[in-house]
Amino acid sequence: MKKEITKYYPLIPVFAAYLLLFLIGRNISGMWQLVAMLLFYCALGQAFNIFLGMTGYVDFGYVAFMGIGTYGMALAITKLAHIEGLGIGIIIIGFILALLMSTLLSVAVGAVALRLRGAYFAIATIGVNEGFRFLIEGARIWNGSEGLIFTAQLNEILGREAASSLMTYWADIMVLIIAALAAFVTLYYMRSKIGYALTALREDEDAAKVMGINVTKYKIIAFITSACFAGLVGATSWALKTPYVFPPEVFEIHYTIEAIIIVLLGGAGTLLGPVAGGLIYGISKYYLAIFMPGFQLLIFAPIIIIIIVLFPEGVVGMLKYRLKDSALARFII
Amino acid sequence: MLTVQELESGYGPMQVLWKPSLQVKKGTVTALLGPNGVGKSTFLSTVFGSVEPWGGIIQYEEKDVTALPTHKKVEMGMALVPEGKHLFPNMNVHENLAMGAYVKKALEHKEESMDLVYNLFPRLKERHKQMAGSLSGGEQQMVTIARALMTKPQLIMLDEPSQGLAPVLVQSVFETIQKMRDEIGLTILLVEQNADAALNAASYVYIMHEGLIKAEGNPEEIKGSSDIREAYLGI
Repeated sequence: MKKEITKYYPLIPVFAAYLLLFLIGRNISGMWQLVAMLLFYCALGQAFNIFLGMTGYVDFGYVAFMGIGTYGMALAITKLAHIEGLGIGIIIIGFILALLMSTLLSVAVGAVALRLRGAYFAIATIGVNEGFRFLIEGARIWNGSEGLIFTAQLNEILGREAASSLMTYWADIMVLIIAALAAFVTLYYMRSKIGYALTALREDEDAAKVMGINVTKYKIIAFITSACFAGLVGATSWALKTPYVFPPEVFEIHYTIEAIIIVLLGGAGTLLGPVAGGLIYGISKYYLAIFMPGFQLLIFAPIIIIIIVLFPEGVVGMLKYRLKDSALARFII
Repeated sequence: MLTVQELESGYGPMQVLWKPSLQVKKGTVTALLGPNGVGKSTFLSTVFGSVEPWGGIIQYEEKDVTALPTHKKVEMGMALVPEGKHLFPNMNVHENLAMGAYVKKALEHKEESMDLVYNLFPRLKERHKQMAGSLSGGEQQMVTIARALMTKPQLIMLDEPSQGLAPVLVQSVFETIQKMRDEIGLTILLVEQNADAALNAASYVYIMHEGLIKAEGNPEEIKGSSDIREAYLGI
């Protein structure tokens, strides 16, 4: 029994970081906006890490899953708004739809792209978000390029006051819960057969196959899990926080790049890495934009290069190595 | 134990195997020899399932396993030691070996397999905490063989285990192969370019050329036939 609990010790620093963020946002006035952004980046990193970190495959089309999740929530709210008495239930339906749609898309993309390896996989996925965006715009699916705007419906269903507190506060809390849940699933995978299979596959896919590991199965598991969390992040951070969705915004490759940077900065395949990466990335982005508007990218790029050169395994990867033999080792993985 | 009939496979439009047939008897070392690029590795990969067969039949312990995926074959007791030392470089020796006991049946016997493997390769026991990527070539080859043994196989297929090793290490690899047969009772299918060493270790030999079996026989017969030796083995 005791062993069962110590298995989950590494969640302590992760949850502590999230709790600290929450408390800072709650108690220091004017901080909530920054905290919300940091939570978004942490959740994004945590979700992407399940695939990128654990398999070593780089998915350049990752934002498509966030986009499709955003649409899931948006569709639920716009299409079901006329049903009376649904209340908060409509958001639950929205989450279910977001999960369903990101699962379907990830199965479709994964079935084709996961047959490829390394750079070929990355190239194959690079077009997914662009293709999807143009499909929606060109075929006028879900209102095409005009997008979906559902502020009015949200106000109507939940009441103006509740809708506004959903957008400015509760949506962020949901992002926090999603991030924590993603961390839990990551650790659960790491501690189970799935994690061993994925580690082997990341190190040498051919050798993993020879060990009798069904590599395809585990790649797909990681891919779908990661896509589902992306869908949830999109459904909350984008659909609920800002109740409209336009294809060019939610299929913007920029977010995929940010997710990659966060995971690599923090340490791919580590549990705490995405939190560290999300915080470093979010805080520097926020303050550079305030203090050096216009120059933030120019300064930001060298910072990232320096960190990657100094800690090729990411910040947490380095910590893990330094603390290998200390008492803290069991908390940081 | 393993019967392969008229196996066909290849890559894309290119056919590599043109219906070779081969049989491996239980408790023996069978060698598949031939020069570079004749399809020996493709043959093993196809038998093991990492390359899809186009035609032919693969039977293992009297069961048709032609269409089974690799991980099912591992569960049934087949193991492959791939060419070129596919290790997990960032794991230590012990972790590499533990990964070998991944399938359920192997996991149940993990501890005894570990003892057996460390007995067979005392050198690995000394180095069990060292990262696999930092081992010497010979030690890495030991790890790949040992890791395959951890899957608890009955049939082990070795793809050029002596490749890139110093002559003294080649000898120790072949000693290990004989030990695996005599002490553990494994059946071994060995693919080699080092014909001399393989002829001494094997009890039956097949010669492959251009995707076909061109000759077969006891090592003595092969050694005795200067035609075969000169045409296909260059010794």
